[in-house]
Amino acid sequence: MARVDRLERLTDLVLVLLNTARPLTLRELGDVVPGFPPEGEARRQAFERDKRTLRDQGIPVVTETIEGPEQMGYRIRPEDFYLPDLHLDPDEQAALNIAVAEVHLGDPSGRDALWRLGIPSLQSLAPVANLPSLPALPVLFEAVRSHANVTFEYRGESRHVDPALLRFRQGWWYLAGFDRDRDAGRVFRVDRIDGNPTTGAPGSAQLPADFDAEAALPDEPWKIGEETIRPVRVLVDALEGPRVVQQLGDQSVSERRDDGSVVVELQVSNESALISWVLALGAHAEVLEPSEVRAGIVDWLAAFEGGSR
Amino acid sequence: MSEPQRDAGSRLDRLLAVLSWLAQRGQVSLAELAERFGMTPEQLVADLELAACCGLPPYTPDRLMEIIVGEELVEAQLGAELGRPRRLSAQEGFALAAAARASAAAQGVEPDSPLERALAKLDAALGDRGSVGVELGDPTHLASVRDAFGQGSQLRIDYLSAWRDARSTRVVDPVALAAYGGKWYLDAWCHTAGGTRRFRVDRIVGAEPTGEKAETRPTPETSGEGPFVPGPEATVVRLAVSGESGWLLESVPVLETKQLPDGRTEVTLGVVSTVWLERLLLQLGPSAEVLEPDELKSVGREAAARVLARYSTGDTPPV
Repeated sequence: MARVDRLERLTDLVLVLLNTARPLTLRELGDVVPGFPPEGEARRQAFERDKRTLRDQGIPVVTETIEGPEQMGYRIRPEDFYLPDLHLDPDEQAALNIAVAEVHLGDPSGRDALWRLGIPSLQSLAPVANLPSLPALPVLFEAVRSHANVTFEYRGESRHVDPALLRFRQGWWYLAGFDRDRDAGRVFRVDRIDGNPTTGAPGSAQLPADFDAEAALPDEPWKIGEETIRPVRVLVDALEGPRVVQQLGDQSVSERRDDGSVVVELQVSNESALISWVLALGAHAEVLEPSEVRAGIVDWLAAFEGGSR
Repeated sequence: MSEPQRDAGSRLDRLLAVLSWLAQRGQVSLAELAERFGMTPEQLVADLELAACCGLPPYTPDRLMEIIVGEELVEAQLGAELGRPRRLSAQEGFALAAAARASAAAQGVEPDSPLERALAKLDAALGDRGSVGVELGDPTHLASVRDAFGQGSQLRIDYLSAWRDARSTRVVDPVALAAYGGKWYLDAWCHTAGGTRRFRVDRIVGAEPTGEKAETRPTPETSGEGPFVPGPEATVVRLAVSGESGWLLESVPVLETKQLPDGRTEVTLGVVSTVWLERLLLQLGPSAEVLEPDELKSVGREAAARVLARYSTGDTPPV
């Protein structure tokens, strides 16, 4: 048999699965769609690979139990393939159009989405915002909205999470969810996830009824960590002090000194994030307590004296 | 013609979009179709010719997709069904939801705006409700800056420069306002500096209108691409950093990176201020090394010594 371009096999497969009145078995598909290997393991593997490719493109192939020796049948349900009519009014279409044109996400997917919705897209406008795009985000988004559990590598550990929401805050994308291994709510920085998350079946995630993802989200980077929360007191001088108080809010101030400097008290569960924040203030800030954190910074700074290698 | 950078999945995705577009129109010029889908005419013709061989069993001519590729025009009879828009892919759904949320956050909340209504319809039809949220930050003086920008008013600002380690009062004419990576930046003509400057809104510690109209200024060349705009005055600095500190460099103006034989990464940056470089080096730690230029090789060590002085002789006794 002449070699068939994989794109051609995929296109035929979509047309056949979409237009069938009943689920088709692997044997029927392999016989009917050009380009599959002869019956056997190679055919099954080719089909599984095609199914994954289709799923990655947002085309789920559903498996249904059927009568007969093969027992499994496959099809693409039209409602999974076609977009429901959104009934967008012209001003709503225009608003989406502007949103996609003025928010830069680092790839053209937003414009592709407008094509799908039948909205003629604008050229890029001057940006009002840009957001980092990360390969894990669409996968996690799909998992959140289809209530599928996710597995990913995070800080050298495999994590099993029922995802609740994605949130862009303070310059970072966060995933909030329920960590199955720790049996507790957790928040993850999406940019720190290694590789691509794998997702379970739709509906496989079960968030506890009392889980409050919103409350789990940190408002500052030093609150996203798994260390025991402890208070850290930081002295900020008169130049940076007012701005830091603007950022953190008055309730963080534990002391105001006559020279205009302030002492802020922070609840820290990620010490290295806290230290990084203090160092970014240069000589305008200093950790007062606890003494181990203070000593940690002193050691870090003293190591510079040894000279860079 | 195959394109090495696209896998079969994304080619299929694009082909289905092309077919849907064709199904709705029947007849389209090749050039227009190619441009719309970001393809060269050769790629488009190759994919269309492939599609013309696809269809339903038994693949007799009447069961294949009817696509005729001419010199300039493509004609197709594909039926109404294929012309229906496809569901959004995860990538598209995410991009649309994130863009819409970010745009809503950038404008401030207007409950019954067309964008909010569109979002509600998307949520209802696609089950996105609450999946994605975007917060762009709300620094104290954002509202005054946004008003001044919107109304074309001149502002007097108190500004704490992260680059010069100093506070200054400036009169500025706003030119552009945007959030990059979670921080708001104001591009403005600065009367004090006599040029266009970019200000971080969270470092504006006071803002009030002067009562004057802002002069209309052309959008500066610096605006548009990100928070850092190494201009002609920037110094090119080469650093060697070890792997685990690399994430700190994600939000800085990296011009180039390359792997060094000793396992470290060489990073080339455009640096406009020594103060800014000092703070980056403090965060990176002693393992980061300035390779070039010579006069900046010791700034990290000197900055560390200055901060350390606070800890050893500071007015606060260690606890």
